[in-house]
Amino acid sequence: MVLLWQVLANGILLGGLYALMALGLALVWGVLNIVNLAHGAFIMLGAYVCYYLFTVFHVDPFAALPAAMVVLFVVGYSLQRNVLNLIIRAPMFNTLLLTFGFEVVLTNLAQMIFSADYRTINPSYAGANFNLFGATIPLARILAFTTGLLLTSCLWFFLLKARLGRAIRATAQNLIAARLYGVETRKIYAITFGLGAALAGAAGDLYGLVSQINPYIGGSLTAKSFAICIIGGLQNPLGVVVGGIFLGVVESLTALYLGPTYTDVASFGILVLVLVLRPTGLLGRTA
Amino acid sequence: MNPSLRWFALFGTLAILVAVPWIAPATWVQFGISTLMLATLAQSWSIIGGYTGYASFGGSVFYGLGSYGTAIAMIEYHLPFGVGLILGALVAVTFAVLIGLPVLRLRGHYFAIATLALAQVVPAIVSNLDIAGRNIGLILPLLRNDALFYESALGLLVITTLSIWYISRSRFGFGLMAIRENEDAAAAMGVNTTLYKTLAFAIAALFSALSGGIHAYWITYIDPGGEFDITLNVKMIIMAVFGGPGSVLGPIAGAFLLSGVSEILSFKISSVASLFFGLVIVIAVVLMPRGLADLWHRYKKLGLHYFSENIRENRV
Amino acid sequence: MNLILEASNLVKRFQGLVALKHVSFGLMRGEIMGLVGPNGAGKTTLINLISGSLNPTNGEIIFEGNILQQPAFRRARLGIARTFQIAKPFSGMSALENVAIAALFGSEGQQRTMHHARQFAQQWLDFVGLAHRSSMRADSLGGPDRKRLELAKSLAMKPKLLLLDEVMAGLNQTEIDEVITIIKKMRDQGISILVVEHVMKAIHALCDRVLVLHHGQNIAIGKPSQVLNEPAVVEAYLGKKHA
Repeated sequence: MVLLWQVLANGILLGGLYALMALGLALVWGVLNIVNLAHGAFIMLGAYVCYYLFTVFHVDPFAALPAAMVVLFVVGYSLQRNVLNLIIRAPMFNTLLLTFGFEVVLTNLAQMIFSADYRTINPSYAGANFNLFGATIPLARILAFTTGLLLTSCLWFFLLKARLGRAIRATAQNLIAARLYGVETRKIYAITFGLGAALAGAAGDLYGLVSQINPYIGGSLTAKSFAICIIGGLQNPLGVVVGGIFLGVVESLTALYLGPTYTDVASFGILVLVLVLRPTGLLGRTA
Repeated sequence: MNPSLRWFALFGTLAILVAVPWIAPATWVQFGISTLMLATLAQSWSIIGGYTGYASFGGSVFYGLGSYGTAIAMIEYHLPFGVGLILGALVAVTFAVLIGLPVLRLRGHYFAIATLALAQVVPAIVSNLDIAGRNIGLILPLLRNDALFYESALGLLVITTLSIWYISRSRFGFGLMAIRENEDAAAAMGVNTTLYKTLAFAIAALFSALSGGIHAYWITYIDPGGEFDITLNVKMIIMAVFGGPGSVLGPIAGAFLLSGVSEILSFKISSVASLFFGLVIVIAVVLMPRGLADLWHRYKKLGLHYFSENIRENRV
Repeated sequence: MNLILEASNLVKRFQGLVALKHVSFGLMRGEIMGLVGPNGAGKTTLINLISGSLNPTNGEIIFEGNILQQPAFRRARLGIARTFQIAKPFSGMSALENVAIAALFGSEGQQRTMHHARQFAQQWLDFVGLAHRSSMRADSLGGPDRKRLELAKSLAMKPKLLLLDEVMAGLNQTEIDEVITIIKKMRDQGISILVVEHVMKAIHALCDRVLVLHHGQNIAIGKPSQVLNEPAVVEAYLGKKHA
C-alpha cells in the first residue's frame, strides 16, 4: 500500500514536470497551428544551458532557469522569424517536415558540440528527501513540480490578462480580424514561437535536475509532449496539467506492475487509443 | 528530353545497376543494397504520403514487422527465405489493415502523430516478446552472398516502381489523388475513400515489409532498435519529398542523390551525415517543396526564379 | 412513382443547435425546385443530409422509393450529385482530369475505362463551355470557370438528382444568364434539380416550385411568384417591419 502511494507520488511529481514540458508545444500548436517536431530538441538545449551554467559558473539550476528561457526564446524567435515564416501558408505537412529538419540539425549540432556522453546535474541538495505519509519525496523533484505548475499558471494569466497575451489569442482565433485591429501578425507569430521555446527551455532546465541528459533525449520528449497535449486536450492550459499528471502516473504504475520496459508501450498505446477514440482529449468536448 | 532518349537512359541505368555486383568493388555493392532498400521505402511512402496525401510517419513499423516476421519464420519454424518473406509481408499487411481502419479516419496532423506513436509503440511491444528475442535480438542463418541480396533488393525496387507506375495511370490511382486533393469532394463523387485509403496503406506496408525481410537476412543479426529505427522514417519521407512525391521516379532519384552525398560526407564524421540530412530537409522544404520532379519540369521555364516563386507563394 | 426525392420529418441537431426542424417535402421527377431562406436557415445542412455528408438525427430521406442510408460515395453511384458552396477543385490536376474522376466514379463509372472516361469528360466540358481550357490546371481557372467545372463534374456523374449549392454566387449578370441556360439544358436531359440560391433572378427563371426555409423550418412551398410574396417569407428575409 505504501509502495502504491510512493509510486503515485512519483508519478504526480513527474507529471508536473511533464505538464511544463508539453506547455510550450500546446501553445504553439493551439495558436499557430504548428506541430513543432523540434520541441524536444528545445528541451534538450535548455537542459544543456543549465548544465553549463552549473558546471562552469556554479549557478544553481533554479537561478539558471531565466537564462535558459531567454536563450531558447531567442532561438525560437529567430527560427520562426527567419525560416518558419517562409512557409506559413504552405500545406501543414511542410511545417511538420521543416520542424523535423530543425530537430535533426539541433540534435546533431548538440552531439558535435557537447558529445554524446550522458551528463548529470548535481546541486548540493540533490540527495535531500523528506517524508510525506510514508513516501520518500526528493526535494529536487518537488521543487521542479512546484516551479512547473507556477510557470503554467503564469502562462494562463498572461494569455488571459496581459495585452500581449490577448493579442496572441486574438491572432489565434481570427487572423484577418486581428490584422484589422492593428496586430502585427508576423511579430506575434515569432513571439509565440519564442515563448513556446522558452517554456521548453525552462522544462529542460528542470529536467536536468531529475534525469540524465544527452543530445538524443529530444525525440522521445517530443513524442511524450504530444501524448500529453492530445490526452489532455488543447482547449486550455489546464489540459496539459491533466495530461501531464495522467501520463506521469500511468508511467509509474506501469513500471511497478508490468515492468519498466513497458512504460513506452503504455504511454504511446494510450496516445493511439485517445487519438482514435476521442481526439479532443480527456477534457475536450466530443466531436 | 525526347521519349526514345528517355527510354534509353532508363534501360541503360537499369542495366548498369544490374551489373554492379560484377563491375564494382564490394563496398559499393553494400552501399547499393542499403540505397536500393531506402529507395523502395521512399517509393512505398510515396503511395500513402505522395499519392493519397496521408503523411505517414510510421513506415518503420512495417519494415520492422517484415524483418522480424521473416526472421522468426526462418529461426523458429525453419522455413526457407522465400516463405519467410511472404509471412513477414502478411503480418505487416494484416497489421496495416487492422490499424489503418481506425487511424486513417484521422486527418492532417492527427494522422501523422498517430503513426509517430505507432512507430514508438510497436518496437516497445516487440522488445518485450520472447519469440522476438526481447531487447537482445535475433540471429538468422548466415548467407554470405551480397550479389544475391543486391539483385533481390534491385528486383524489389523494380517491382515497386512498376506497381506505382501502373497505379498512377489506373482508376485506383486517380481515386487516391482525388482523395489527396479534396477528400470530401472525392467521396461525394463516388470514391470509396475508406477502401482506397486502407488499400494504399496496405500496399505501402507490403513493399516496406518485403524490404525489411531482405534486410534481415542480409545483415543476419537484428534487434528492435535497428529494425524499427525511427530515423528510417525521416529518410523515407525526405527522399520521397525531395525527389518529388506523386511522381514515379522521383523518390528513387531522391534516395540515390541523398544517400550518395551523405555517404561522401560521412567519411569524416558520422554525425555530419545526419546534420546534412537535417539541412537538406530545411532547405528543400523552403526552396523546393514539390521536389526534384517539379524542379526538373519547371526550372527550364523559370530558372532561378523557381526558388523565389516557391517562397513568395508560401510566406506570411 | 413520380417523386424522385422525398424528405419526411427531417430533424438535424448539432450539440446545442437544431439546424433542421421537421422538414418534409417532395421533389418530382424532372422538376427544378428552389431552396431559399436567409443565411443560417439550414439550406446547406439539408443538402448535406441528402448527399450523405451528414446523417439526420431523426426522419427519413427517400430516393426513388428507397430509404437513403448509405454513405456518401454510394449515394453518388446511385445518381445523386452535388456541388459545393466553395468550389474546391482537385487543384493539381487538369480540368479534364477533374471531370474524368467524376466519370470514373459516378453512377456508370465502374464500367468505363480510363480512355472512355477522358472522352466522356471532354463531352461535358464542351457542354458547359470549357472545352478550350480542358488541359489547364484546375487551380489556374478563374471563379466563373470553376463554377462551370463543378457543373461539368456533376454532369459526368450522370446524376438523376443534382443538388446545386449557391452556384451563382459571385457571378455577374452575363455569367448568371449563361449558367441559367446550362441548368435548363440539364433539366432537358431529364435531371431533377434542387437549387439553393440567393440570386432571385435565377429562382424565378428556373424553378417550378420554391421551398422556403427559416430557422430550420419549412415555412412555405409553391410557385416562386406566389411564395416569394407571402408575408411570412418577406418577414423572414427582411424582418417584421417590412411584412
